[in-house]
Amino acid sequence: MMLIAGTFPYRDLPLTVGAVSAEGESLVVEGRRLPCIQGTGAMVMAALAVTEYLKLDQPQVVIAGDIGEGKGSRAIYEYLIQNVKAVSPEVLVLHYWLPDMVQTRGLCEAVEKCARRPVMVADAASMYSAKGAGLASYFDIFTPDATEMAFLADPDATHPAYITRHLFDTDITQTPNLVATAYGNKSTAKLLLVKGAVDYVVRDGEILETVDEPDVPALEAIGGTGDAITGLVSAFVYAGLELHEAAIIAAKANRMAGKFAQATPAMKVGQIIDQFPAVFKEYLCQWRGVRYTEGGNDDRG
Amino acid sequence: MDLFRRKKKPRFDGGGLVLFMDVHDALKAERVLKSAGYKVSLVAPPLALRKGCDLALAITLVQQAGIERVFGEKGVFYVDIVPLGPNSAELLDIVSMTDFDDWVMVKAGNMKVTFDKESGVIVNTSGGGCPDIPYLHAELIGKKLTEAPSPKEIGFTLCALMLQRALEECLLLWQGGEGS
Repeated sequence: MMLIAGTFPYRDLPLTVGAVSAEGESLVVEGRRLPCIQGTGAMVMAALAVTEYLKLDQPQVVIAGDIGEGKGSRAIYEYLIQNVKAVSPEVLVLHYWLPDMVQTRGLCEAVEKCARRPVMVADAASMYSAKGAGLASYFDIFTPDATEMAFLADPDATHPAYITRHLFDTDITQTPNLVATAYGNKSTAKLLLVKGAVDYVVRDGEILETVDEPDVPALEAIGGTGDAITGLVSAFVYAGLELHEAAIIAAKANRMAGKFAQATPAMKVGQIIDQFPAVFKEYLCQWRGVRYTEGGNDDRG
Repeated sequence: MDLFRRKKKPRFDGGGLVLFMDVHDALKAERVLKSAGYKVSLVAPPLALRKGCDLALAITLVQQAGIERVFGEKGVFYVDIVPLGPNSAELLDIVSMTDFDDWVMVKAGNMKVTFDKESGVIVNTSGGGCPDIPYLHAELIGKKLTEAPSPKEIGFTLCALMLQRALEECLLLWQGGEGS
């Protein structure tokens, strides 16, 4: 099972747990319709694009409403801590929530009790809390953008808004240096997919691949495209790809979807995600050769 | 393409720091103190001084008594007022702009706001990872820069503060200023 946890931007959405599906432009969980917008919504919708295309089980989600006050975030933390052992997902994806280092430590301790340790993926503020708690290296995949890469490289920062200036000043051109610093500080996951003008796929400090084509600068302006990449890489891992393969294909697919959509800065992330099936159909086998074909053939090992 | 990258504002040098349990209290303290005419600046407290949240208020220490009085009058909760140590950091204040022909994207720290050059309507926000960011995304998109709600007023986190900074810079550009 692939389990995705994160907040949605509503005050009144209670903790909701269940399988998620896509209906048109909406996500549906336990009869609730939720929009595909920046944040956990875009991430889940992108993951669904992969699982639907490859005919895999749909993701399970643990979501709650939170507009920044923290109540929904706490409900998600508490659910995961209490239930992750019983649920025992193969892939656990953590996304938007109010960073809480204590709860993050509690979650990692709970994960240790799972019969089989899940692949742990973190993005957005769940990545901040993992780093802040000193548990970054416990995670398998982080998907930072260039600014967040500087945050990971800063040994003192607990939020990207407080990065030491000299690290931030060099965020675009010095990503390899920031990567080396972050691994040296043990403040990053085993595998990094750094999203930016050039995407970097890094494993244990070694840059395995860079992806810079097609070049679609407008994607940076579209809220949620980074979230979509996280959904892609997580779902490809769930499909059985090696972590680095999943990351490379996710980076390529997102860029190609932007090209297919003829992305402009005024587009919504859903318009990019809509392109994923066509991108997969045209490129998935070529990029890998992926062992999967449309219509099934799940050979997770 | 980055058209320019600006740096601004010297460090606040008031010598004092107010520590808080949560960000909401820090933001309220900044608001009431500025309204009362104090010069203050939001900063990250040094690790050695950190007692609650990761946001503190740099103040002019000599004004401590008056500041404590304002806090009492306005119901501001805080942990302590202490001398400012040497290692505190300020919120990132590095702004860059990208020109997309019909649109302009302004990036402040980790947050980005994109608006239509012709209409001044916000067409996108991106970046960040705190839970109020998708909420602010939904609240800001489609609104004119001059009519958009303030992320600082309706948000709760450091990402919201950075989004506020980006929005303020967009407004300056839209209104024909040179930016700060």
